[in-house]
Parts: sequence; C-alpha cells; structure tokens
Amino acid sequence: MRVNRLHSPTWNALKINEAVIEERIVLNDSGKATVEKIPAGVMIGNESCRECGGCELKDQVDIKSITCGMGNEADVFFADASKDVLMIHTRPGRKAAEPVNVRYLMENGDSNADRVEILAEEGSSLTVIMDYSSSRLDASGFFGIQTRIRVGAGASVHLVKVNLLGSGFLSMDDIGVTVEDNGFFDITQMCLGGGRNLIGMAADLKGYKAQFNGDMAYLCIGSQDLDMNYHISHHGRKTGSELQVKGALRDAAKKNFRGTIDLVKGAKGAHGNELEDVLLLSEGVVNKTLPVILCDEDDVEGTHGASIGRLSSDMLYYMQTRGFSKGEAELLATKAKLNSVRNLIKDDNTHGRIQYFIEEAFK
Amino acid sequence: MGRERSEVNDIDRSLYDFRYEEKEEDFYKVKEGLTEDIVREISVEKNDPEWMLEFRLKSLSVYNELKVPDWGPDISGLNMDDIVTYVKPRTKMKTAWEDVPDDIKNTFERLGIPEAERKSLAGVGAQYDSELVYHNVKEEVLAQGVVYTDMESALTGEYEEMVKEHFMKLVPPTDHKFAALHGAVWSGGSFVYVPPGVKVEIPLQSYFRLNAAGAGQFEHTLIIVSEGADLHFIEGCSAPKYNVANLHAGCVELFVGKNAKLRYSTIENWSKNMYNLNTKRAICEEGATMEWVSGSFGSHVSYLYPMTVLKGNDSHCEFTGITFAGEGQNLDTGAKVVQTGRRTSSYINTKSISKSGGISTFRSAVTIGSKAEDSKAAVSCASLMLDDISRSDTIPAMDIRTNEADVGHEAKIGRISDDAVFYLMSRGISEEDARAMIVSGFADNVSKELPLEYAVEMNNLIQLEMKGAIG
Repeated sequence: MRVNRLHSPTWNALKINEAVIEERIVLNDSGKATVEKIPAGVMIGNESCRECGGCELKDQVDIKSITCGMGNEADVFFADASKDVLMIHTRPGRKAAEPVNVRYLMENGDSNADRVEILAEEGSSLTVIMDYSSSRLDASGFFGIQTRIRVGAGASVHLVKVNLLGSGFLSMDDIGVTVEDNGFFDITQMCLGGGRNLIGMAADLKGYKAQFNGDMAYLCIGSQDLDMNYHISHHGRKTGSELQVKGALRDAAKKNFRGTIDLVKGAKGAHGNELEDVLLLSEGVVNKTLPVILCDEDDVEGTHGASIGRLSSDMLYYMQTRGFSKGEAELLATKAKLNSVRNLIKDDNTHGRIQYFIEEAFK
Repeated sequence: MGRERSEVNDIDRSLYDFRYEEKEEDFYKVKEGLTEDIVREISVEKNDPEWMLEFRLKSLSVYNELKVPDWGPDISGLNMDDIVTYVKPRTKMKTAWEDVPDDIKNTFERLGIPEAERKSLAGVGAQYDSELVYHNVKEEVLAQGVVYTDMESALTGEYEEMVKEHFMKLVPPTDHKFAALHGAVWSGGSFVYVPPGVKVEIPLQSYFRLNAAGAGQFEHTLIIVSEGADLHFIEGCSAPKYNVANLHAGCVELFVGKNAKLRYSTIENWSKNMYNLNTKRAICEEGATMEWVSGSFGSHVSYLYPMTVLKGNDSHCEFTGITFAGEGQNLDTGAKVVQTGRRTSSYINTKSISKSGGISTFRSAVTIGSKAEDSKAAVSCASLMLDDISRSDTIPAMDIRTNEADVGHEAKIGRISDDAVFYLMSRGISEEDARAMIVSGFADNVSKELPLEYAVEMNNLIQLEMKGAIG
C-alpha cells in the first residue's frame, strides 16, 4: 500500500516522496474503542445512526467526502477494513466542558482498523482525546485509525492523539479535517510507542478566517520508524495555520517528515507557518525532513524553518556548568521537548500514562 | 478600491533575440532525432577516439532505458525527434576575433564578449551552436601552466588521459535521462586545468550561444583545480527566440583539489522556447572551497540544480542564486549538497521572483552522511510574488544521518511588505521608488557576488520600472 504521497514530489532518489507498507495486514477485529467519558452536549453514535433517524447524527453524511492525509489507497483500505464508524457530534452552540476520551487498548496480537467522524456544529466546542496503548511495552500487532473532522462556522475542536502502543506495532493514523468560517481546529499529537508509525493529515481551511494549530511531538528509539505527511490547504481568505513539530531520534531510529503549506489561489490574506525541531541523539539515526510551501496567490505569507542536529553548544555549555553530563543534558532536553507538548493536553489520566511511557523509554 | 501595485517589467530580451539571417551552406548539421547512426556521425565528425565512441553508444543505450523525470515541470513539449543534436558552423576555431566569420563575430560583439575579454578576462571561449569558434587565453596565464582549451582539443591531444579519467565520472550517464543524452551527443565546451598552487587572478569565461532553430546544445565543461590553486570561471549563455523548441543539456564537472578554491558564476539567459536541462556538479577534496553564483532568467522550462559533493574533511561550499520567472516560464531551480567529509559546511542562499504568470520553484537537497561529524548546513530561500497570476513553490529536502551535525533551514514566500513600503515612504521616498528599492534590495545579495560587468547585466535584465496600477 502506497501512502503519504507528496502533492509536489521531488527527486525519487531521496526516497521521501511516499511511504510504502509492504506487510499484508490481516485484521482480527480486536482492540475496539472504549469511550470513557461522554460530556454533556456531546452525542456518540455509530453507522446505524444514519439509518435510525432518531437523532441529529443521521445528518452526519457529508463528512465522508473529507480528504485524508494518507491518500486514496489508505481510503480504500479503511473502507474495506472498517464497516462501522464511531460518530462524535456537538449540536450548534454547545460547548462541551469535559473532553471525550476514546481509548483503544491494543494487546499483543491484536489487529484492528477503525474509523471515527467528528462533527462540531456552528459555534460549538469540543475536545476529543484519543489514545492508543498496549499494556505490554513489547506488544506486537496492527492498529489503524481514520479520523474525519468537520469544524463548523465559529466552532472549535481540540483533537488529542497519543500513541503509546507496544514496540512491535504497525500503526496508521489517517486524519482529514475541514474548517468553516471562523472555525478553529487544534491538534495535539504525541507519537511515543509503536514500531512503525505512519501519520497522514490533510487540513482544508475552507472558510473565511479558518484557523489551524498543530503541535506534534515524537520520540523514536531503537528501530522505531515514523513517517509523517501533513498537508494544510488554505482556501479561505485570511486563514491561518501554525504547525510545530518537535522530537528526538536515538539508536537506529528513522523519521520522515513532510509538511506542506498550500496557499491556494483566492486565499488572500492567508498565512501559514511550520517549524520543525529535531534532536539527534545517536550516530545511526536517519532523519529526513521536507517542509514545502506551495504558493498560488500573492497576498499571502508562507514561512517554514527547521533546526536539526545535536543540542546547541550554548545549551550544552550551560547545562555542563550546572553539573550535568552531555548525556544527562540531552535527556533533559528531550524530556523538555516532549513535555512542552504533553502540557497542552488537559487530562491528568493521559498525562500520567505519557509520563510513565517516557520514563520507561529512558530506562 | 483597488490596491496600488508595483509593476516590474519583463526582461528586455532584444539584445539576445538579435540574430543575423543565416544560410544553410554556412552550417553542417545532422538530421533531426536521436539514433545510433546520428551518434556515430557526430563521433566521426568530431574525430573521437574509440573509447569515446563506445561511451557515446553506451550512453545512448542508457538514454533509451531511462524515463523522463516524473517530479518536475512538464517537458512534454520537447520532442527529441524534432531536435537537431549537432550543428557545426563551417569555420574552424580561431584565436583572434578578426579571423572569426563576420556574422558570428558580430553576434558576440553585440553580446559584449570581445570587449569583456579586453577589459577583465584572462581567457575566453566562445561556442556557436555545437562548436567553439573562438578560444584564447592570455600569455601570462599560459605561463603559469594553466590549460584552457576546447574539449575536443583536450580529448584528442595531450590531455586525453586526463579527460578519460574525469569525463562524466561525477555525472555518470545513468544519473538521469538527460545526462545520458549528453553522454551520447555532447559537443563543444571547455577544458581547464589549473596546476597546484596557481592562483588565476582574473576570471576565465566561456560563452555559449545557440543560434540555430530547433537545435540542441550539449557542451561539456571539465575543470580541474589542483591542490592549493584558485580559479574564477564565468559561464554565460543566450539564444534568440524561435517558435520551435530548443534544448540545452550541457554538463559541467568540477574537480576542486585539496585546499583549492573555485568560484563558478553563471548568468543563464536562454530564450523562452528553450528547455534548459543542464547538469552541474562539483566535488571538493580536503579543505577545498566551492562557490556557485547563479542567475537564471531565461528559458521556457529549466531543471537546474548545481550539486556539490563535500568529500574531503573541512571542505566548504556556498551557493548563491536568483531566479526570475516571467510570462510563459517554469523555472525549477535550486541546489544539492552531499556532505560526507568531517567538519564540512554548506550554505545555500537563494532568491526568486515570479511575475506575469511565471512559475518559480526552489528545490534543494542537503544530505549529510553518517561519517560527516561536526558538519553544518544552512539553507535560506526567499520568494517574491509580484502578482496574483504567478506561482512560487519551495521544496527543500534534508536527509541527515549523523547526530554530530547542525542543520538549519528557513524559507519565506510573500509579496512586497506594506510595512517596508510605509517605512520608506515615511522617510520621504515615493511609493514607486520605495517598491523599486525593495525589489532591487531583494536581488542585491546575488548581484554583489557577480563580477561587475555581470552585475550590470543582471541589473539590466531586471529592469525595474515602477508605476501605479490597479491591483
């Protein structure tokens, strides 16, 4: 399966234009979602709700057309693999005070693909925390999830995704979002577990002043392999996007990051910015970064920056004057990067699980 | 109410589009297309040694196997069956301008080449279509042991072994389809050898003029700068405009020895019917420095990414480039760096301007190998959009395989800053002048790196005429 293909590919020899999943994925329908909290103002349903007609969830049909980041072959895979859909819906103007917690416990040998649709209607707000974890750190299996989100006019959605899977897991996290006038989509992602992880996200800022913010943190150690593809399209006027990606690679870990800001004709007054900050901790790591700006409109501003390498000499010197060794200083810097994103997640239970995972990773 | 918009004129190409009417009998040329017979005919015409004929035929075989790139601008308008790969003026290479046939000489006069030679160059090679028609080098440079000659003379003379050792070793025909094409039909170009420790104080220059309609130019430039030597080489190129496609698939190979320094400056000003699929590559030994200064103004489609391999420890490269894409142009330009030596460093700094529907793409790749400890790389690219019918993309890739490296990247795309215009206007400068100053300043870092006469040419190319218009 070919996924995460760049809209504007570059030299094939760099092997960064796409990712290929060669494994044959056999699903065993295990590791289903548990929705731990349903706050007031939020409706939860599934595919059968479309037929039922008993509540507003039946209207949640236009979300299926939202483009996701991994591409067509992943679409076909998820459509075949997961006949059901978990639907999360907020009515117009309703502001959910508590997050919706969706948890997938993936044990050794589990193999599951799931689809989720989130609809925040006009003026509503919602936080959804999705975490995928294994009780054994060395558990193996497959976990795939495709999440489509529609953020209505003036609505706000904060989506949190935390990967704490066992080190033998292959995971696919495919996301598509559209944001209407004055809507705001905020995504916080932490990818710490799994063996090979693929993340694709397509965000379409369709509406006037639609906003996107993304904070992504990762830790790749051992032979972990992380492949990311973010594509943020600015269609609406005065739309804005900010994407910050930070992480660390150690041992023989590999990471590909593709981040595209697509300033489409007509998106006057739009601005997009992306930043990547990568700490490389071992000799054998492979880091590939491709931050792309596509600009088809003059009245816009697109910027990107990347900083890749070791701990800066100033920082290292400062830490060493305080008695830290180089290794200890790198460990502290790595934890600081991860914690800066973890702190954006307003849920104590999730905090605790992330903290435990990080501590175990550095033992 | 419409916003005031600055207007930047198209490049004035009248100088370059000028040509004398030519007669068929003034030239010898092969048939259109690319066949083994044509490759053999070129080889015979050029009096190739046997190994070069074999090399050409192998390259043709590779060309037939490789696919057209699937990642860059569309080149479906280029049909090799319509391209004449070899056009030879019926004159031999001269060492005095007065011996060059009048129409050819006058063409180069209008381009200012003989005058530049008199004023500021140590040597000049002038290629007209597929062959050099003029080559000369100052006596004092020859006395230093510097070799500056045409590729054919080097290949068939005393430097054959040196050519054989280096020819298409940096850019093998298997590199991409148009490198293979070059290997099969190359003709013309320059060979430069600078002996150890020799510093050539004033630049050498080669100028390539493609005058024939529907033709290709495939010159090969091979420069060897030995240990501790220093050279500045300037390359210029232009062509008049035709209604049929022309092709430029040259190849530049630069070998920079231990502690040597080479600066390679180019002003590329092909006509807007040209497909410019050129390949340039340098390799640096220990402590060597490679500097590229590149201005891309012409051609219909360009694929141009000079590449530097920093093989030796402590070697360094800098790439400074500007691209100006106007109406009907799709210019895909940038640079590549591969750092394998320890403590190597690279800096890529580019500017691009798009207007009148032009498409400018900055594309780069920085690769730092696992042994390149304590290496550094920085990439900075800025793009200016002058209207809302043009396009500008940046596609910079980084592949880092050591933890002992520092890599930084920054890019910005946008239009002329209203704040900057306001600031200058608040100091009493008119809006039109303010906008002109900003665009000039945008290109300034490249023009100041060029030799004076080329800086003047570049500023003439980007003639800025600011006037109020409704945006």
